[in-house]
Order: sequence, then structure tokens, then C-alpha cells
Amino acid sequence: MIYKHRRALAAVTALGLLAASGQALAHHSFAMFEPTKQIRMTGKVKDFRWQNPHVYIELTAADASGESRNWTIECANPGILNRVGWKFNMIKPDDTITVIVAPLRTGEPGALLKQIKIADGRIFGNGGPAGLPNIPIE
Amino acid sequence: MQTLTRRLLCATLLLGVSALPAQEVRDPPKTRVANFDRRDLSGTWDRYPLPLDAHQDTSVVPPPPDIPPPPLKPEFKAAWEAHQKKVDEANKRGEPIATGYTHCIPDGMPAMMMAMFPMEVLQTKRQVTIIQEAYNQIRRIYLNDTLPAVEDAEPGFWGHSAGRWEGDTFVVETVGIKPHVQFRNTPHSADMRIHERMRRITPDHFENMVTVTDPAYLAKPWQWKWVYQRRPNYKMFEYVCEDNREYADPETGAARMRLGSKP
Repeated sequence: MIYKHRRALAAVTALGLLAASGQALAHHSFAMFEPTKQIRMTGKVKDFRWQNPHVYIELTAADASGESRNWTIECANPGILNRVGWKFNMIKPDDTITVIVAPLRTGEPGALLKQIKIADGRIFGNGGPAGLPNIPIE
Repeated sequence: MQTLTRRLLCATLLLGVSALPAQEVRDPPKTRVANFDRRDLSGTWDRYPLPLDAHQDTSVVPPPPDIPPPPLKPEFKAAWEAHQKKVDEANKRGEPIATGYTHCIPDGMPAMMMAMFPMEVLQTKRQVTIIQEAYNQIRRIYLNDTLPAVEDAEPGFWGHSAGRWEGDTFVVETVGIKPHVQFRNTPHSADMRIHERMRRITPDHFENMVTVTDPAYLAKPWQWKWVYQRRPNYKMFEYVCEDNREYADPETGAARMRLGSKP
């Protein structure tokens, strides 16, 4: 638990420092996504694209309202994801996965991934720049 | 700290503890490993400190200070500040202004040297080559070369670089950066020069003191320091923007995200 707190504190501090210095975090600004609101969804993978500048998951899932939609979920890039333990073929069409995401502020069904639980039960983050989940995945 | 302990243990094993007086065993590791080749920058490196890496030990090498704002001449400063304000406000609204990144345009110099992603340095007698994983950027620094005159320096993203060793410091001069290749939205003229002093400070860190001069736009030299930490045994990934789903809204200029995969 202490470790978790230290990690969260380090993350918050680093984010603050980066924001203050205006340093580029990644390929682009994440300001188009909700800054604090996150949602958890479980659904079926329609497509998985391992590519630059971003990896994308197309997910058919219902959000809290119960409406099933096709979501485009932006992940980091293959380099970042490899460095946090992902593998290019660990997600396949028709897999059932759970994600925590920050949705687009426009209300469109697009989102930035924060954390993912893949079909075999393993849980992965989306790399440092994308930030941490603020709700539990299970 | 674990890394430090491991290094200490390895050094101790290599040197043979039993042959050493007790005093030497307690010496800090830096005195033990002082014999690394200070003129060898080759290897793979991360920026330091690495953002959001809670495992990183920052006690050995102090993190560099924040990069100061560009010391623009008064006649350019107001416009720069107004643009920064516009960027901040757009981000707060959730409508970030599209940038080169939106269009998958590489950083160029000097931004490439912030090492957004891992960076590889290859060193030969005639050339130091720096590869940045993000956008497959490549920078070639020719040793003891003569830089072209401003009117002959064909502008590019990484420009023309000449390097030389001054003792243990690798000194690099760069000219010929395209006007729209800007670091932190800072305008520059064809006379901009980027001066870098790279120096290994530990076996696993090197620093880069960057000084940008531009008599047309800057009131004084703009200076900051970047530090890099070795990422051992790392193999660089390729980076091709094969399906960029970011685009600039034609009406507002805000960065947007295209939904759905192309068939």
C-alpha cells in the first residue's frame, strides 16, 4: 500500500512538473479527453490495430447508460506499450476485455485508455504519459 | 537504489573484496567506476528523469532544472506569451490547438534531443549518429567538419551539425533549421545556431548543455540542460505514422480524433 501511495504521489508530482514546464508528453495533447472523468466498460473487441502513432482498439461495449456502442480507444504507441509489457498479439478480435478510459469531451464514442484487463485476466497500464486510472478495474 | 546496490555488488565481486582493505569497500561506487570511457556516448538512452517512473533512483544525479521561457526580444515576447495563453486556454476547454504532432511531423532540432522516446547514439571516427525512436528521427553529426555559411545551409528539420571533442566534452554546432521547425513555439531566423556540450557524468548518464543563439529574435542566449540515462540492452522500435487518426478541425484548428478503423 505504501508503494502504491508513493507511486501515485510520484505520478501526480511528475504531471505537475510537466504541466508547469509545458513539456510535450507524447504524440499530442490529451486535452481532448475528459481530464478526470473515467469510465469502466466491458465489451468485445471488434478490431485491434498495432501501429504508430497510436495503437487502437475498436470495442463494442455498453457504458453506464446501458447503450451499446462501438468505441474507438486510443492507446499509446507500440514502443511505449512494449516497454510496459504489452505484446503486439495479446489482443484479438472477439476477445472480451475490460477497460478504464477517459472519454472524449465531445461525447463521441472515443476515449483514451488508462488501464486494460485482457482476455486471459492480465492487467496493463497505457504507459506513463497517458496517466493512471482513478477507478478500480475489478 | 536496487540498481546502485547491484552495481556495488558487481564492482565488489569484480575487484575481489578479500584483496581490498575495508576502507575501499565503503567507498562510494563512483570512485570505483571512474575509468569508463568519457569519450564514448554510444548506447541507448532515456531522458532523465523519466516522467512518471516511480522506480527511478534520482538520488545519484540531480534532475536538471525546468527549461526557462525563451528570452525573446521585447517586440516578439508579447506575441509568444499571447500564443502560450491561447494554447493553455484551448487545453482547458478541451480543444487543444493542432500542432506538428497532430500531423505526425517530427520534432526536428533542438526538440528531438528532449528524447521523448529512447534515443540511440552510434559513434564512429568520422560521425556521431543520433536516432530518436519517435518518428524514426536521425541526426548526423560530422566530426571536425566545417559548417556551411547561412546562405548555403539548406534548411531542414535537423539541420547541419559539426562536432568536435574538447577534452571529454563533445561540442556540437548546428545550423540550418526550417523556420516552422520551432521548439516551444519559439520563432527563429536563418541565423539561429544551436550549440551543445555533451558530457558523460556517470557511467550511466550524460548531460547536454544546450545554448541557442539568434541575434534576430533572442535578446540573449537561451540555455538549458538535458540529462539522459542509459537504457541497457534496449533495441529500438520502428516508428512509421501509418494510420494517423489525429487531424485539425478545418473550422476551429483544434486537434480532433477520427473514430473507427479504416477497412
